[in-house]
Amino acid sequence: MKTILVVDDELGSAEVLGLILEEEGFRAFCAVNGQLALAQARDVVPDLVIVDYMMPLMNGAEFARELRADPAFERTRIILNSGLPESVIRDQFDGYDAFLRKPFKVEVLLALIRQLLEN
Amino acid sequence: MTDSTADSIPQIERLSSAIPGLDLILGGGFFRSGVYIVQGLPGCGKTILANQICYGHVKRGGAAVYVTLLAESHSRMIQHLSSLSFFDTGAFPDRLAYISAFHDLESGGLKGLMTVLRREMRTRKVGVLVLDGLVAASEASPTDLDLKKFIHELQSIAVLQDCTVLLLTSGSVHRMHAEHTMVDGLIELEDRLFDARAERSIQVRKFRGAGAMRGKHGLRIDNDGISVFPRIEALYQSTTSATMAPGATPSGVPSFDALLESGGIPLHSSTVVIGSTGTGKTTLGLQFLNASSDAEPGLHLSFFEGPDRVRTKARSLGLQIDALEQSGAVELLWQAPGEAMLDEIADRLLGAVHRRGVRRLVIDGLAGFAESAVYPERLNKFFSCLANELRNRHVTVLMMLETRDVVSSVVSTPWGVSGIVDNLVFLRFVHDEGMVERLLTIIKMRDTDYHAGLHRIRIDSHGMHIAGTYRADGDVIPSAAPAS
Repeated sequence: MKTILVVDDELGSAEVLGLILEEEGFRAFCAVNGQLALAQARDVVPDLVIVDYMMPLMNGAEFARELRADPAFERTRIILNSGLPESVIRDQFDGYDAFLRKPFKVEVLLALIRQLLEN
Repeated sequence: MTDSTADSIPQIERLSSAIPGLDLILGGGFFRSGVYIVQGLPGCGKTILANQICYGHVKRGGAAVYVTLLAESHSRMIQHLSSLSFFDTGAFPDRLAYISAFHDLESGGLKGLMTVLRREMRTRKVGVLVLDGLVAASEASPTDLDLKKFIHELQSIAVLQDCTVLLLTSGSVHRMHAEHTMVDGLIELEDRLFDARAERSIQVRKFRGAGAMRGKHGLRIDNDGISVFPRIEALYQSTTSATMAPGATPSGVPSFDALLESGGIPLHSSTVVIGSTGTGKTTLGLQFLNASSDAEPGLHLSFFEGPDRVRTKARSLGLQIDALEQSGAVELLWQAPGEAMLDEIADRLLGAVHRRGVRRLVIDGLAGFAESAVYPERLNKFFSCLANELRNRHVTVLMMLETRDVVSSVVSTPWGVSGIVDNLVFLRFVHDEGMVERLLTIIKMRDTDYHAGLHRIRIDSHGMHIAGTYRADGDVIPSAAPAS
């Protein structure tokens, strides 16, 4: 079973997505900011992370940069998402595997997850 | 790397309500994936409104689910809905389902309810979800914060599933509830008594992301379900003030046109013909209508005389209204006064004007609008907007207004009518040595000179015509005065 870590500071958003991912047959974990997510990632070594860009303490780009710098997460796929245009985020960090503009439909996300995990 | 976005912030798509008039006041429909509260006391139309939205979505190829908590049974609801024209048994069960989630709420609280809603959205892939009975969910919530969290979670799921959610509640319309702060929109339905008469209304109290039309708007429920009639002052508030085109159009009474330097009634103008019963208002209106043609289609809206009586009267005056009606150059529209809503009548009138490209309009009489107004203080602005909109649509209008006094030298113009119309014509009776004479006086005629005297009028089997001037003392010279 593939493990996915969902990181989003918005109340309920990560939990809702986690529940849907579990219904789709994934093992899902949630965190509400980059710092907590980093600790969680070290525990579970996820196959994929879905991370929001704008969060307190450590934003999504900083979190993803930390992840990319650690060889333990060499195989972890990163989906960065935000309501902002991708160009704004890419200026700071472009080491993610995919970008999703919020709001996105769950079917689009699931298709993207399967594509990334198959590859 | 996936880059499916442009630099601009994408606009949220809209979901049509499939309810005539509602999309107009919402500025284009609901925002897709939004969560909206529809609130109102029992009997004000929430269930029909939500069902009509579901059936409309299904008709466009989508799917919907109607979730009840403590509401009427599904079989009874379907029985009640089956008499409405939008009802479609073909929608069941794949594209429209009625389910009850009360057991899940009772056993699992808000979390249990949320699980049902999430699964229904996922498995049925619905674009519209109705939760009927938010009050029950609210009562099952330990605190206001729990209810807010429930709504927030629902919003997250709605966005992920691209599902628009309607929460129906009979909660008090005069109290702010915790959930009101969370949702994307708050729509309030009301059924209110004005003396013995009841009138329904709809008000968009909150609508994130767009400027909805503010204030109360008329709402009717009939066999077609719900129709919304936007308040005409709100609907046309941004319309520019129309200017009259140069030129004139025949009034249908050549001897009256001869009194005007322009040779006819100014194009696209509004004229009020004011006078007591029997002075010739309807006759003048019918002659104006009789000048209609394929190029200048005419419309006659009457409140007090039905089409048959109008036709009979036209025949007695030797007018060709029957033939014009058959050729499609004239339409007779009748509106029973009393129960119809003011904006509903305006909607019907403007719809008829639009449908046939009407250029000549007779409204007999203006009091029909006034009798439909539950807020009389609206009438001045209402008539002003209506007159402006008709001018925008290149319509020349004759409006008949009946005065109470049979013999009077004072023109009483209620609702500020004299200020909003372009032209004012006064018809009246005078005693003259044992005889009763009809007189016509032009009080105001915009952009053209006119003979301002007292004109004797005759009405016979050839219609109305001016029969010279009338000599009288000063006390019969009319003066316009606002009605008390």
